[in-house]
Amino acid sequence: MGFRITVDTGGTFTDVVAADANGRMTLAKSLTTPERIFHGMGEALTLAARQLSLTLPELLAATDLFIYGTTRATNAIVTGKVGRTALLLTAGFPDILVLKEGGKFHAHDFSQDFPEPYIRRSDTFEIVERIDAEGTVRVPLDEGQALDVLEAVARRGFEAVAVCFLWATANPAHEARLGALIEQRLPGVSYTLSHRLLPVVREYRRASAAAIDASLKPLMQAHLREMAEDLQSQGYSGELLVATGLGGCQHVPELIERPIHAVGSGPAMAPVAGAAYAAAEDRGEDVIVCDTGGTTFDVSLVRAGTPNHTRETWLGGQWTGHLVAMSSVDVRSVGAGGGSIAWVDPGGLLRVGPQSAGARPGPACYALGGTEPTVTDAALVLKYLDPEFFLGGRMRLDRAAARRAVEQVARPLGRGVEAAAFAILTLASELMIKAIQEITVAQGFDPREAVLVAGGGAAGLNIVPIARELGCARVILPRTAAALSACGMQFSHIVAEETASLVTLSDRFDFSGVNAALDRIEATLQGFLGRLGRATPTHRLELFAEARYQAQVWELDVPLPGRRFRDAGDVAALHQAFDRVHERTFAMVDPGSRLECINWKGRLTASLPTAPWLTLPLAASPTPGPVARRPAYFGADAPVSSEVHRGDGLAPGASLRGPAIIEEATTTIVLPPGARATLSASGNYVIEVGA
Amino acid sequence: MRDDSMQAARFGAFDPVLAAILANRLDAIVREMSNTLLRAARSAVINSGRDFSCAICTADNRLLATAEGLPVHIFGSHLQTKAMCELHPDLAEGDCFLHNDVYLGNTHLADHMFLAPVFVDGEHLFTACTKAHQADIGNSIPTTYHPGARDVYEEGSLVFPCVRVQRDYRTIEDIVRMCRARIRVPEQWHGDFLAGIGSVRIGERRLRELAAKHGVATLKSFVEAWFDYSEARMVQAIRKLPKARLVNTGRHDPLPPILPDGIPLKVEIAIDPEAAAIELDLRDNIDCVDCGLNESEACTINNVLTGVFNCLDPDVPHNAGSFRRLKLRLRENAVVGIPRFPHSCSVATTNVGDRLVNATQAAFAQLGEGWGLAEGGSSMGVGYAVVSGRDRRQGGRLFINQLVVSSNGGPAGPVADGWVTYGLPVVAGAMYRDSIELDEIKHPILFREFRLLPGSGGAGRWRGAPAAHYVYGPLHDPMTVVILGDGMVNPPKGVLGGEDGARAVFYRLASDGTRTALGNGTRLELRPGEWVGGSDNGGGGYGNPLSRPPERVLHDVNERWETANRASAVYGVVLRRASDGAYALDLAATERARRAAEPR
Repeated sequence: MGFRITVDTGGTFTDVVAADANGRMTLAKSLTTPERIFHGMGEALTLAARQLSLTLPELLAATDLFIYGTTRATNAIVTGKVGRTALLLTAGFPDILVLKEGGKFHAHDFSQDFPEPYIRRSDTFEIVERIDAEGTVRVPLDEGQALDVLEAVARRGFEAVAVCFLWATANPAHEARLGALIEQRLPGVSYTLSHRLLPVVREYRRASAAAIDASLKPLMQAHLREMAEDLQSQGYSGELLVATGLGGCQHVPELIERPIHAVGSGPAMAPVAGAAYAAAEDRGEDVIVCDTGGTTFDVSLVRAGTPNHTRETWLGGQWTGHLVAMSSVDVRSVGAGGGSIAWVDPGGLLRVGPQSAGARPGPACYALGGTEPTVTDAALVLKYLDPEFFLGGRMRLDRAAARRAVEQVARPLGRGVEAAAFAILTLASELMIKAIQEITVAQGFDPREAVLVAGGGAAGLNIVPIARELGCARVILPRTAAALSACGMQFSHIVAEETASLVTLSDRFDFSGVNAALDRIEATLQGFLGRLGRATPTHRLELFAEARYQAQVWELDVPLPGRRFRDAGDVAALHQAFDRVHERTFAMVDPGSRLECINWKGRLTASLPTAPWLTLPLAASPTPGPVARRPAYFGADAPVSSEVHRGDGLAPGASLRGPAIIEEATTTIVLPPGARATLSASGNYVIEVGA
Repeated sequence: MRDDSMQAARFGAFDPVLAAILANRLDAIVREMSNTLLRAARSAVINSGRDFSCAICTADNRLLATAEGLPVHIFGSHLQTKAMCELHPDLAEGDCFLHNDVYLGNTHLADHMFLAPVFVDGEHLFTACTKAHQADIGNSIPTTYHPGARDVYEEGSLVFPCVRVQRDYRTIEDIVRMCRARIRVPEQWHGDFLAGIGSVRIGERRLRELAAKHGVATLKSFVEAWFDYSEARMVQAIRKLPKARLVNTGRHDPLPPILPDGIPLKVEIAIDPEAAAIELDLRDNIDCVDCGLNESEACTINNVLTGVFNCLDPDVPHNAGSFRRLKLRLRENAVVGIPRFPHSCSVATTNVGDRLVNATQAAFAQLGEGWGLAEGGSSMGVGYAVVSGRDRRQGGRLFINQLVVSSNGGPAGPVADGWVTYGLPVVAGAMYRDSIELDEIKHPILFREFRLLPGSGGAGRWRGAPAAHYVYGPLHDPMTVVILGDGMVNPPKGVLGGEDGARAVFYRLASDGTRTALGNGTRLELRPGEWVGGSDNGGGGYGNPLSRPPERVLHDVNERWETANRASAVYGVVLRRASDGAYALDLAATERARRAAEPR
């Protein structure tokens, strides 16, 4: 087995991780080059190759698996730079994407215009047809009218078409016919039919997913083909996979068919990494994974070794953005990070965010024009960061500028600069704690039962106080924390999902219908498995019902107790399984109520060859003891003299007590008094947070 | 920074960083309570409509935290916790109360409020409050809104004057049996009942954890500091307003035969920036009416305060601290004020309540450009009807529910156009709307149409949001549809030269296609093949339409929010149709047209 290379192209940086057959990892970073992704990526790959004393073609020739992760799809949606897409909806219901599914935050705030729909109203067309909830045709498809619409679509030069008809899940005939007509009349135009992409009940979800998927097709097809060609031209002939929002990966042809799966693939890989790190340290299978960047804090939850999934991923804000609606790893994002700006409101209350200084102008201490105090400035004032050793010394920070910025909030608070800086960090932690609670406590999960895995460049600054507040005893902070998503891809597998919609009640259960739906799901996934072109890969096929108590509106995912339903006993077992999930999630159960199953889902996980445990090279000749001491602030009036260690000088088994600071090339770990960190044999810091 | 001395006074000795943290924690607790109810409830009106709210009050009955509750539900919560304390001197840990009595501080009988006193070390510290609109409450007719009810007896609902439903955390099954015997679709009610109790219990657990962590003494001083902070924010917000006395009126549509003239409303507002106080006087209103449209005291408070808060910095916390700066003058036996027993307040949360929000927020527009809001769509029409009947797909089971489909155009304001999925003034976009497909699973109905209407939002410098048009009918068997109405005769008013929003329309469509207009307050029986249709209101416009940026008008026409005719006739914007069908702006002709249209 040769190298496995994983790449995460973010909005600003591209991370590359190359792991050799022994699991030794090489990390490299470069600026992302959006106009041609391979330019920036090639630079990082070349850097990685150089560290291995290879040329880029030599490294690629010695690589047999390449996994590519990209924010291209996500960014295209958020910025609206997608293919020009026509949306075809059932006549009488043209405003599905405008009306979304309800809700607005801040009922008393009338200062915002209503958001524009994902597809403009002027690009939305009505098709005469109607099918009802039971699949009965109420209004036959008017083909003449549909052809007139397709002619208009052709005339106006649309690049893609999305089709979503009411109850296409109960009877797909009209959507399927439209698909055939599009192929006839609009050759070369990409299209997506809602029932094929996402056969679930709720018209907004299907329409939104179909619109997003169709709009990404022109762009992502070109992008992924270009990427494959660029790699080949550099001599790569191994397998190319693309990361997906399901926290797995798929081959290029599948992604070209359903590019919506590429949405959110970077963040989805963080929990994959988290689960792997927790397993490597033998710290259980329930993991809270945090990824702290410059502007956002992402949090996700792994339960029993599997990342939580959701259908409610919004891009551009819950309710006001666009719903992806595909089942994907549940990653919540809040606007809190190193760049978050602190301010004092007119009532004298300290606030942090939601405004961020971003990468430009960035925190005041970057000396790039920023003057407002940020979380990074606070960390510098507290002496957690060394101005000479930020990003391994690649960037010099201006401590005086940081102090001047923090002074702006210290004065109105009537506090010293250090105390104000500590307050800023505390409040930033508070926002992160709330985000973690929303994904744990609010969903029936006790964070005290989990280990916390922290990644992202800014994670180490405040992860210990966060863990203490949540009651998590232990934190794992990988030395590779700054490239959590690219590392996650190193542990990822091929994952595919298939859904079928079939509404049935537990007391009049549609045995043949459900079993047929499950047959179809399994057959589709087996077909997918067959196309992988691997000799009998190890795989796992899980089946789920998306179910609720009758008359509830929100479904929960329940793993099926068996493969098929033979008798009332099997249905009762499903009912009990649902009761347990409901109890766990909402602290309440109603076993007497009938169960209403809405959708059925299969998830196939085909294992990629497993690498041995992955590590960064450890110090050949460890340098015991601190490289320096610094007076750092931990909330008391006076600073505390703290040991400063260099991560690349520590040997496995090294154990450090707070107050201490560990400086890595891409991250800094702050150990307050009472905390203790041990560098494990796998190259992770395992922190006992203490109290 | 200004006012250092004042800030010290605000927080006193309390640590402002800890205050920020504790405020954040309370907010998180209310959100968790809401999430629990939202996901576990049964009736569409709660779990897809989000017609519920959670709050935390102090033991001495001051509203402390509300998170994202519905404006109409929440501000008066302290009236209900007060009733709990006064009626139950034996209040104890493990108690839970059901309260829907409008004469003891509830909004209307259809809102079931769950109250759980939170004890720490034997001391009552807080009360966790969860209020949810029920799908049915056992009224004499199959709707939770009974506009025709002469009094509470005709209204017919079960009344719970803050009744204990749990003692020592065990449910008192007598109450459950009473409800099951008297409420339509009892299992749906019971699911919502369990969800409501689950919600306040989550709140209780989290508040006790918070007290264990920070100590009772700290929490108590935080509460006072937080009220002081909130009051200080309110003082600053009011000091930005000009000194003024504002008088505004509104009118609910006629509701023949009970209210042939409708209900007139009057709001008098005195703004005193020096004293940093606003007085709201509602005493000059007609007496209670012999029907279900009276405002309860809680709804009067909620809705007039909503109108005020809509016009202030939304960052000002909404709690007993900021309320200190608002003075309400209410009269006993007034249609908006304090009702006199046994008048019915069956529809207190909407209709007259919506008109009260509108009249209050539009009054502030009298201060001139930059202040106040237009009126928002307030039609309780076809998209909010209560439907009932039998569902043969489920063996002929009875169903009853309020549809939450309507969008009603939101009001334009001084910096933005109206919100499209506004709902009603009393909810202001915070509610979810039903999915058409989910409604068709849940009820045996079939929708034929649901579209937004171009040109229906009130024109203005800022445009009201458009009305929506709906048509639906029964799927297999006859179905009863009860429509409350309003917004048909008196449309949402524009302000400062802005146009009114579109009027509501209701009609019945016979199987042969014959269309019969319907009035406000209609109950109809539909057979399969027959349809009910109509449109709700557009929102009112803000400011002179001739001053709307022409680019916005162009966008409106190209995106079908507005019509080309209105662009020229109302907005004075001249558009030319390009070859691809889209419109382009003729700026020079627009300037000429606008100059000609300006009054000299």
